[in-house]
Amino acid sequence: MGFLDSLLGRTKAKPPAAEDRLFALTTAYITLETAHGITTRGKAAIVFQPVATADFDGIVSEMEQIVRGTGEETGTTLTVQEDSYGYRWMILTDPDVEDVVVGVNAVSDALAVGGYGDRVLAAVFAFKDARDRSLYLIYNYKRGSWYPFVPASGEQARDAERELQLKAILDKELPLEPELERWFPLWGIPI
Amino acid sequence: MAQSKVALRADSGLQARMLLTVFLLGAVYVVLLAALFASGASGVTIFVIAAGLFLFQLFASDKIALASMGVKKVSPQEAPELHAMIERLCVQADLPKPTIGIVQTSMPNAFAMGRSQKAATVVATTGILELLSPAELEGVMAHELAHVRHRDVMIMTIASFFASIASLILQFGFFFGGSSDDDDSPGILPLILVSLLVYIVSFVLMQALSRYREFAADRGAAAITGRPSALASALLKISGTIERLPMNDLRSHAEMNAFYIIPAGAKKSLLNLFSTHPPVEQRIAQLSRLEAQLQGAR
Repeated sequence: MGFLDSLLGRTKAKPPAAEDRLFALTTAYITLETAHGITTRGKAAIVFQPVATADFDGIVSEMEQIVRGTGEETGTTLTVQEDSYGYRWMILTDPDVEDVVVGVNAVSDALAVGGYGDRVLAAVFAFKDARDRSLYLIYNYKRGSWYPFVPASGEQARDAERELQLKAILDKELPLEPELERWFPLWGIPI
Repeated sequence: MAQSKVALRADSGLQARMLLTVFLLGAVYVVLLAALFASGASGVTIFVIAAGLFLFQLFASDKIALASMGVKKVSPQEAPELHAMIERLCVQADLPKPTIGIVQTSMPNAFAMGRSQKAATVVATTGILELLSPAELEGVMAHELAHVRHRDVMIMTIASFFASIASLILQFGFFFGGSSDDDDSPGILPLILVSLLVYIVSFVLMQALSRYREFAADRGAAAITGRPSALASALLKISGTIERLPMNDLRSHAEMNAFYIIPAGAKKSLLNLFSTHPPVEQRIAQLSRLEAQLQGAR
């Protein structure tokens, strides 16, 4: 946001980052699995703000059909859910990480082509570590960066220590978000 | 990549008015500076004092204001819903997460403080949390985050810098000018007259600037949430409730009015000129236009 944008009070919801680093996961997960015992739980989701316009609804239903259609070949299944904050989650289930990344990318692409790319909040991938504790890898579309998110027991509690351990592991594998204060938690992840 | 549907078209008229106001403020202040230097050393003293005040205002006033209003900082555990809502809006607006505070009062209001995006505090009253639906509250919080993003506290502090010098001269001018017997100096009286004029004109201009920035923050909120009508509905609810509520302690902080979502004790003023906020009807009209843009009924 430039000086003139501040002076003139111009805000736009940030569009997705120019450089798409979503696909970094398709190579990173192999190292995570073999070297660190971090494996997929076979679920991923993309979360966005639904907009109450007719063409938005059209884009979303079209995109659902496309993802379901390709899912018949890849075995990816799709469910849709709204959360209590009014955001919509498109949940993809497939044990193959590459397939879910492709599916998530298809959803964000369809929204971007329709002119709603700035409504996408994040993509979330469910993993578990060697001791079967669940963790999430979150991709922030606005910044084109990744960060780990580990909810702890208790309301809105997160395991910061575990996240920092994961940071050390992931640093070499994924383009991580450098500013820790932008590791925004997502509560109530439905996967 | 396609043009974003929700990145609403810039309101060039609004931006032109804002630039003009900033320019006029600058011009008025140049006149004041000229008068200051023409009047000699006493003016420079005032300038230094005012600069000190400016720094104080920039770095301490938000803390004092927050403390005097009884703002209680809340942790994610104390207000989980509010924190989660603001976190998501911050992702959407690409802002670092601000400090979040709550004031215990039935007056429904919200405001943002802090000189920079990193030092920002966003505050809601318990009244607004009870009054609004989640989508409406989201609109109000997005409006406050738009203020943070536009650095409105910084801009209004800078804009008021010279106005506070002028008011200082008005209050203490004779005291500072008393010892000036220099024949080259035109004396203190012209300076006081200029200061009076500067003070009056800059006051009107600053109120205008503040109103424009409210419009801009409403637009920003619509861009962040994609739901202009939710904010419009929130403004209607808040203004309706504020008018019904009896005099309340929040209203005693009149100096805070510029930062509220809707100023406390807002009466329909004959002179819109002296108001920090545009009338609610005008703000709702703007939001309806944005909704129409969004719906494709251009």
